[in-house]
Amino acid sequence: MTVLWIILGLALLVLIWAVAIFNTLVQLRENVKNGWSQIDVQLKRRHDLIPNLVEIAKGYMGHEKSTLENVIKARQQAINADNIKDRQAAENFLTGTLRSLFAVSENYPNLKADTQMRQLHEEIVSTENKITFARQYYNDEVNRLNTTVQSFPDTIIASAFHFEKREFFELEDTSEKTAPAVKF
Amino acid sequence: MPYSFTQIEKDKTRVIGFVFLFLIAFYFGVFWLIALLVKNFVLYEYTSPGRSGPLFLLNFHDSLIIFALAILVGYVHWTCTVSGLVGKISGVLKAEPLNPGDHYHQRLQNIINEVSVATGGKKIEGMVIPTTAMNAFALTDFKGRAIIGVTEGLLARLTRPQLEAVVGHEAAHIVAGDCLATTVTTSIFALYGGLLKGLERIFSETRSSRDKGGVMALLLCIYILLWVTRGMSQLVRMFISRQREYRADAVAVRLTRDPLSLAEALYAIDCRWRGAGLAAEELESIFIVNPAYSALDEKTSLFADMFSTHPPVKERLNVLLEMAHADMENLIQSAGDKNSQPRSPVPQPDAAQPAAQWMVHRNGLWEGPFDLARLLTIEGMRPETWVQRVGTTDMKMAYEDPEIIKAINKKTGSYHCPKCAISLTTVIYEGVEVLECSFCRGVLVAEKDATRIIIREEVGFSEEVTRLAARIVEQKKIWQWGKDAIKRDPGALLTCPRCEAHKGKMIPMFYTAAYHVEIDKCLYCGSIWFDKNELEVLQCLIEHQTEQK
Repeated sequence: MTVLWIILGLALLVLIWAVAIFNTLVQLRENVKNGWSQIDVQLKRRHDLIPNLVEIAKGYMGHEKSTLENVIKARQQAINADNIKDRQAAENFLTGTLRSLFAVSENYPNLKADTQMRQLHEEIVSTENKITFARQYYNDEVNRLNTTVQSFPDTIIASAFHFEKREFFELEDTSEKTAPAVKF
Repeated sequence: MPYSFTQIEKDKTRVIGFVFLFLIAFYFGVFWLIALLVKNFVLYEYTSPGRSGPLFLLNFHDSLIIFALAILVGYVHWTCTVSGLVGKISGVLKAEPLNPGDHYHQRLQNIINEVSVATGGKKIEGMVIPTTAMNAFALTDFKGRAIIGVTEGLLARLTRPQLEAVVGHEAAHIVAGDCLATTVTTSIFALYGGLLKGLERIFSETRSSRDKGGVMALLLCIYILLWVTRGMSQLVRMFISRQREYRADAVAVRLTRDPLSLAEALYAIDCRWRGAGLAAEELESIFIVNPAYSALDEKTSLFADMFSTHPPVKERLNVLLEMAHADMENLIQSAGDKNSQPRSPVPQPDAAQPAAQWMVHRNGLWEGPFDLARLLTIEGMRPETWVQRVGTTDMKMAYEDPEIIKAINKKTGSYHCPKCAISLTTVIYEGVEVLECSFCRGVLVAEKDATRIIIREEVGFSEEVTRLAARIVEQKKIWQWGKDAIKRDPGALLTCPRCEAHKGKMIPMFYTAAYHVEIDKCLYCGSIWFDKNELEVLQCLIEHQTEQK
């Protein structure tokens, strides 16, 4: 009889332990989801800003049609990409085209002096920073989820309930914190 | 270390519980003492006429009642302090919400939003304190309302990455949960410091009148109680660990990945006035660096660890510099380079493009030449008036000239220059929207914006301005009462452009007694009219003064 009680008690302990791990895993998964939606919001914001940027730039740099068209094309690709891998590639390409646009704009002092452009520049810097931060948060959370999912004994619960490893979201490092931007 | 706000909001910090217990213990002690005194000296003769000595203690029954009373009063004190806490404190600090039209404020808002993304989406409000001091603070209350506030001085003098690092530090306090504890702990007594000062004033004002004896006695009681609470607020600082600043610095670096900028910002704050003497001095724990300079802060003894709210700035810098793989010399140099950026050139709208001039056909005569702004204000000017551009031969009706039509459409501003009567145009100066007269170059500035403009150092000064400023310094070293008074001619008062409807007049006065720059200020709306160069001269003078200090 006593043995039965002991076994029952142990089983209860194991159950409590399993529930605790399960809840932690759910929490981690939600954090990752939240992180991903943050990135999504910021990338969308970036895509929304680009047409304005191109519109203003058009007025000043008529000879740089190809640069502007590249930016538009890259934006379209980024919007259409659906899985993480494609998206990474498309966003990196977009960053590249933006960088060359800003590099070229160095030659147009009137564009730099434009008040609308200055405002937009602040917006773009801010959005680029937000993308960096959102990515940072997402990757930190993915890191925690992946570590938990793979470490023993949590991995037993994780595999039983199909908690899976997630992919990191790598974007080209905008090395200086001021985004792919020039100084105005 | 977890810093996701969702998890941290769940676990209430124990510190707050301790503070509540401390509060009840404090009231219990005070009431017990009062009851003891009352029982011994006032009720002595009634309760026990046969006793020999006056000293006897309270029995258990009395203590129990006092305990219940202490809990009640403590609870009322607690709820009064805690409800709408953030609003109350920001009121004491005279902090204002951000103005979206102001470029500097917009930048701060963007930075706060960015850092909020880094924390996983915690909603944070931004505020500014209109002062030249350099400091920043964070507040949260039980409802989860979070505020990061920055002084105008800090906003004007730090670069974007530095400001980002400071906001990161404050956000770290908020997400790490220690901000709530600090906000509650400091305000539980310190919030009443302001009340104390108010009572002190009433006390000294009514001292002469004798018939108010009863009121005075009551006031005296409250006065003593408040003095005690002030002492308590010193004691309560024991609950606030110095270590939290190191931790917030570390989390800020984790959020922004930029230790050097935070070190630069701390260094820049430490070099200037941090805000000693402001109303907020008693709330020091919520700031990034203690506003009042305290020798205790710079020490590392056990006593300092207990009673001081901020660790030595030098220690903080050392930790950050180690993270950044840099040393003190590097820091001083890079901070010096970044924070004395070249000023943007003095705007010279006229020099770049000679303004087009027009001749106008009026009353059978050709008049002029006028520039565009002047042209639109000429009496009898109509769309079909004949005009001719100087240097050309073709006459046009005014509405046929695209430039004039554009100017007429743009002329939406309903404010007019008090001197030239032409309409004022909105211009951005030092990130603030001001109304400028394109003819006499005078500017109309709202009172609050004037302070902001003076603090900011983005635009350089022309030679003329520096020369004028130097002359003012030379001429009048000492303020002489009476001799320097401005002669006011009631007929010559300017009409405030904003108060035109009810003929609000502007009164000439010195902006401050220390600097003899005469301005015209509207008594209704507080708007200030600066004639050409006056604003710049004032800026130049004040800046020169702060540099000398």
